[in-house]
Amino acid sequence: MQTTRRDLFKFAAGSAAGLVFTPVPWRLITDTALWSENWPGIPRPARGEIHTRFTNCALCPAGCAVRARCVGPQPVALTGLPGQPLCAFGLVGHHLPYHPGRVTQGALEQAAAAIAHRDPKASIAVLDLRPGRTASWTYRRAMAAIPHGLYLAPKRISPAVNLADAKTVLSFGAPLLEGWGTPASVFAARERFRLVQVEPVPSPTAALADLWLPIRAGSETALARAIAQLLRKQALPPEVAALTGIPEEQIVSVARQVAENGPALVVAAEEFPAMSELNRLLGSLGRTVFPRREAPVPESWTRAAAPVTTFASVADHSIGVLLIDESAPDTYLPWSVVQKKLVPYDPLVVTFASSRAGYGRHAQYLLPTAVYPEITSDLPPALHSAAATFRLAAPLVAPPAGVVDPPTFVARMARLPLTPALRERAGAIHQAGRGTVSTWRDGKSVPVRQVKFDDFWSALNEGGCWIDSQGPQAPAPQMESGSFADPPVEQSSLPLVVVTTAVPQPFSPLLSKLYGESNLRLSPGRIALHPETARQCGVTDGARAALETIRGRAAVQVSIDSGMPPGVVRVAATPALLDLCGPSARAKVVRV
Amino acid sequence: MTRYGMSIDIDRCTGCGACMVACAVENNIPPAPEGAGDRKGITWIRVFQVNNGEDGSNRKSAFVPVLCQQCGHETPCVSVCPQQAVRVDPQTGIVGQMPERCLGCRYCMAACPYHARYFNWWDPVWPPGMEKTLNPAVAPRMRGVVEKCNFCHGRWHAAKERAAAQNRREIDPGDYLPACVEACPTGAIRFGDLNDRASVPARDARQDGSFRLLEKLGTDPKIHYHSRQGWVRQIASAPSGKEKARG
Repeated sequence: MQTTRRDLFKFAAGSAAGLVFTPVPWRLITDTALWSENWPGIPRPARGEIHTRFTNCALCPAGCAVRARCVGPQPVALTGLPGQPLCAFGLVGHHLPYHPGRVTQGALEQAAAAIAHRDPKASIAVLDLRPGRTASWTYRRAMAAIPHGLYLAPKRISPAVNLADAKTVLSFGAPLLEGWGTPASVFAARERFRLVQVEPVPSPTAALADLWLPIRAGSETALARAIAQLLRKQALPPEVAALTGIPEEQIVSVARQVAENGPALVVAAEEFPAMSELNRLLGSLGRTVFPRREAPVPESWTRAAAPVTTFASVADHSIGVLLIDESAPDTYLPWSVVQKKLVPYDPLVVTFASSRAGYGRHAQYLLPTAVYPEITSDLPPALHSAAATFRLAAPLVAPPAGVVDPPTFVARMARLPLTPALRERAGAIHQAGRGTVSTWRDGKSVPVRQVKFDDFWSALNEGGCWIDSQGPQAPAPQMESGSFADPPVEQSSLPLVVVTTAVPQPFSPLLSKLYGESNLRLSPGRIALHPETARQCGVTDGARAALETIRGRAAVQVSIDSGMPPGVVRVAATPALLDLCGPSARAKVVRV
Repeated sequence: MTRYGMSIDIDRCTGCGACMVACAVENNIPPAPEGAGDRKGITWIRVFQVNNGEDGSNRKSAFVPVLCQQCGHETPCVSVCPQQAVRVDPQTGIVGQMPERCLGCRYCMAACPYHARYFNWWDPVWPPGMEKTLNPAVAPRMRGVVEKCNFCHGRWHAAKERAAAQNRREIDPGDYLPACVEACPTGAIRFGDLNDRASVPARDARQDGSFRLLEKLGTDPKIHYHSRQGWVRQIASAPSGKEKARG
């Protein structure tokens, strides 16, 4: 048989066709897939010995205990202790050192020189956004050593609360079930109390409350006063129902519930005088509300410390140099509020922060700081503990070169001796000989007087917690500070009432799972509107729009939410949007 | 034979999202590129907020975590996969996804009635430095493959290794918990062997008010939900149209 050229072609074509029906191409695809899965573009997790370390979370004042799974020196997962889980933000705290918006270099020398050349007659102030820490005592001592020095707290430290003993909780917008206190303590107590949530928008806490009162935004004080009047057996003011949007009989029913199903507790997103009055009338002070007690401090500190001044009580246009410690952000005061306190001409603002998202946008100098879990700091007294506590956020990774320790900077500026303040404070606690220290590695609690100081210090550095043995002390706290924003004044040009939803800053890029890849939370840069309000504004779901207030405008994206009350715009409160809105804001939404 | 499953108490879920974040950390799921949106993101477990469609104080809301339902009967994704990249492990009952076999045809995504499968539209990228925080027990997946919840299979392997090191054939039930179960602050998500009638999810599954998503499809999901609220249970079977979901 003679093989022709045609036969060769037929054989080749037949082979090619037949190959498709063999496992070869599929095998090839699998091999290609295996190869592509391991190509250099795919990150490879680090290998190494896995071990566990303990610390305390410094992202919010709750200060949950943290168990870190580490590969070598690098934490790869953070979890809470058994029965004490972390919140979504705490679970990814180990990502923060690698946040794309992080600042690691700053003009340290120039900032120090600018402060040194300030007008000696103008006052110099430190605004501590998380008061109650050992760093706060350093600031107070430094400000006492400097002429015209002021130590400022954004607001008075709120009292500690005892949810476990409360049977009825009346909450004015407090995000009780969304990261208010440690999740473990709140949820452990949740089944024992009835929750009445007073809030204009259907937040997750409102959704899960036993009763949600959708109040008209800005009329919380009126409702609290009305309930107080009912508790005093006075008549309900006739205009309250119209003002708050809550029927009279429902207000009477709530007043009866808090009065009859005690012990009751009244909490708020931000304290206001009528709330304190309600707690007083309900006999909550000393039962479910306690003074927030601090751990002992060295006596020499208390002798030479500037008093704590709330920011609101400072005279306008009086601060020449303002140092803002944003390294542990808690409360953000809108820039318009801060600016009002600065001298009109050439004020100097220096901020200690890890990113430009906050006051770094307005300050002349931004000095970069360590972030959790690089930070070495103690935590303020716990919100849910009537006894004093002392816990350290011990660093899990080393901070990068170039970052500044704010208390050291301020102490050096005031020429205070540079001593290890945290160790001194621990020494004072140990010397007092009260309370117990709990260590998480072995789960033991030991009385402090049975522990040597070095062991006590080691326990604290391994995430241990000191809890005072002394309970709450009389007298019960005065809580007159702070005030709910006044009801927004009607303005036809700005028809919408702004309701802000806190967005903790900074947060890991992985929280895109909550903010972008799902709609579980209102993401930064988004606003939520009722469908009818959106129609009146001429915007649709997902549309780009501008949010306008008296302070300017910002680009936003619109989300339509039928749960929103008409006439209200809900804003995810990043510092930039808080600056735009300010306190008691009205706004309008414009299609772009 | 073990048949792992979950029970989720919807009345206890606060929608905090800790399960979603813990899952992403454990399984090396990268943050989505900016503008990815909720259609193209990857959330092996996703919490949806649902409501009864009423207004004002009559409005009731609930949070429903939805993950791969680990179907036990005629598993839709297994039947359609041309690459045999999806397999039900007979030892555990876990529906596993093998990304190295996956072609990215997305038939399984179309077949899944629970929308619990996710496609990698982009290469897995973390901000510079953050790749140091990846979990060494799980390999990141490449662009172009489908992935989904596998009850943290890496943790199951680790528990098996620990048991083997102690000369045990079976793992200790407390030694193997998926990341979402461990992270849930309210204890709403519970995990265990459904074949063990004494296990917590098996007991929960027998409770009044227990239900499974789209049960009428007959896929025999291993995720059992529970709610005392009738309108929530109705949503799980066939929404009437009045209720709303977002998440």
